[in-house]
Amino acid sequence: MNFIFTEEQIQFKDAIKAFLSEECTPSSIRDGWQANSSFNLDRWKNLIELGVLNSNLPQDKGGLGMDQVTLALMVEEMGYAGLPEPVAEQTFLVNDVIPFLPKNITEAIESNYNDGTQYIALAHPLAPNPLFLNNSAGLILLDNSECKFIAKDDMDFEIMSSNDPSRELFKINSINNAICASENFDEINSAISARGALMTAALLIGLAQKMIDLSSVYVLDRTQFGKPIGSFQAVKHMLADVAVKIEFAKPAVYRAAYSLSENNPKSALHCAHAKLMCSQAAELACKNSIQAHGAMGYTWEMDLHIYMRKAWSMMACWGNEDRQQELIYKTLSSTSEELGVLYTF
Amino acid sequence: MHLLKKETQILKMKINFTKEQNLFRDEVRTWLESNVPETPLLSLDTKEGFEQHREWEKTLNQGNWSMVTWPKEYGGRGLDLIQWLIFEEEYYRAEAPTRVNQNGVFLLGPTLMEFGTHEQKSKFLNAMATGDHIWAQGWSEPGAGSDMAAIRTTAVLEGDHYKINGQKTWSSRAAYADWTFGLFRTDLDSERHRGLSFILVPLDLPGITVRPIPQLDGEPGFAEIYFDDVKVPVENLIGGDGEGWKIAMATAGFERGLMLRSPARFQQTAAKLLELYLAKQDHCSPMIQAKVVEAWAQSESYALSIYHTASKMLDGGSIGSESSLGKIFWSELDHMMHQTALKILGASAELSQESKNDAAKWIKGFMFSYAGPIYAGTNEIQKNIIAERLLGLPR
Repeated sequence: MNFIFTEEQIQFKDAIKAFLSEECTPSSIRDGWQANSSFNLDRWKNLIELGVLNSNLPQDKGGLGMDQVTLALMVEEMGYAGLPEPVAEQTFLVNDVIPFLPKNITEAIESNYNDGTQYIALAHPLAPNPLFLNNSAGLILLDNSECKFIAKDDMDFEIMSSNDPSRELFKINSINNAICASENFDEINSAISARGALMTAALLIGLAQKMIDLSSVYVLDRTQFGKPIGSFQAVKHMLADVAVKIEFAKPAVYRAAYSLSENNPKSALHCAHAKLMCSQAAELACKNSIQAHGAMGYTWEMDLHIYMRKAWSMMACWGNEDRQQELIYKTLSSTSEELGVLYTF
Repeated sequence: MHLLKKETQILKMKINFTKEQNLFRDEVRTWLESNVPETPLLSLDTKEGFEQHREWEKTLNQGNWSMVTWPKEYGGRGLDLIQWLIFEEEYYRAEAPTRVNQNGVFLLGPTLMEFGTHEQKSKFLNAMATGDHIWAQGWSEPGAGSDMAAIRTTAVLEGDHYKINGQKTWSSRAAYADWTFGLFRTDLDSERHRGLSFILVPLDLPGITVRPIPQLDGEPGFAEIYFDDVKVPVENLIGGDGEGWKIAMATAGFERGLMLRSPARFQQTAAKLLELYLAKQDHCSPMIQAKVVEAWAQSESYALSIYHTASKMLDGGSIGSESSLGKIFWSELDHMMHQTALKILGASAELSQESKNDAAKWIKGFMFSYAGPIYAGTNEIQKNIIAERLLGLPR
């Protein structure tokens, strides 16, 4: 038992943090909004060069064989920076799921995938509108009983507007040709659902941290009654409440990632737990951060909403708070003897 | 630029228990199974119950379980924090009695370990382990609650002793305890947190009057302590004269943090709550289900966070203002769980006699859960600490 990160894990987190603080600034995100093109190809190529996109592919497939804990630490930083490109999606939902997919699907992906450098989009009932389909080489589509791969040229799609302009979402109108498989469907479906919950949880905790950091700076700067508003207890306590939520959501993310890396049979429960805690933390971070910013928080000019919008989307997709509670309840009520004091690890 | 050379093996975090840790768990479990009293003890807030709990402390000590993290020479086993957490998990699993000496073993003990002399450690830690000294806390005064630096009780150095005059209040366990530890003003010209000293006082000295205060549950758990020319030997001073504030802050950190409120306590409550809900769900609203899930999720998060913290401490880190985050979290969680239990129980929740109603412990726990956000520094004070020291906001 040693619940701390290794030096390598911290190195990865620091490396991506340093990269994103230079390359993914609020103004660069706004430039993407302005141009109606949030997928920044230069930044994407730099992330590939950095080794992030294929980091969790096996070493014989050109990756680093990175485990889910390290990946979660990196995804947290992607949330913190509000990174628009679907790096978390590519690594967590595609690379990490490949071992579960039937052979005909993986072959189709690999022929379009080119060492993890091409983006593969994904659609699932919990996130039905795929992200950046126009920048992809193709789509993995899970419906209620079947897994499909569709090359980009084999379907017709149209763009849908998201409340988060950093997210370009699509709707598929027709499919002309698809590789289909129904074997292992339940296993694939639960592997993807668990990773979707964990990925959004890690993004949300980074987003929550960003919002509380922005708020802490703002309330020092803004004065009223002759003092910084951050000196008033009403403001302090709102932000402290968020800090408490974040503190107790983070370890749930790391444990869930660890469970996936160990193929723990309870990893679905642990991922649901992480998503539940992180959704609650991010929800309070949104509410209390906008309140701490006062009317400025309600403007387009303030950067806060870049992160708030992403947080609202991340809370809703891959299973919202209620869905995770439902999943947890089903597990707890069917295996009550394996709950509680002795079953944390 | 690249994240890492591709041939480098990425070292992974390990959060499984080791074989040794599992063997230790078995050892604790076996001992508790044959030693935990079959009939629950009387409330430790009654005279008779207090002495029963003192006996239990002695039994624990005979098994060498008083405080497993202490060095062997002071009655401990020299084990680490992870093993202590395992011990606590087994302790709550076995539903063993509440530690009547928690002020001693969990608060004063670690304080002495850090600030006490060798003589003080051998005298007080051993007597604490054997249950001969049960400790009360002596911080608050009528004019010094959340504002603890307003302490006015004086301790004047006169040769080989301090002469103490003044009044302490809300002293937990003081109704029946043997000793108290607390802060006293040793420099009469000083103000605020300067000029305070950390002194240990036997409660049977001449000039001391203890007046128990009946609590919300009707029992006298805390008390007022009056000091009228009480003479305390100078060797009962911990650390230097005037260093009391620094030492008290360390003690308060232990109280808020992982020592006093280990996660097993809340996980056990969450498990009992689920059991209660599953037994009664046909008679209560399905809306309660979400609260039961919250209880599991939050107690699980608390446990994960504490293992994370304990691992960081074993790696040479320290815990500071972060303990304020935990104190808010567990106290609110504890209240929410008891409130939920009462909702499940409905109109029968108020039946408070344990011999006639198995569920009576919930209403008792419910009332006690109101104390959590107040003691060990109110949650409002904790939020100020978080805002100022962790978020960098101005005082």
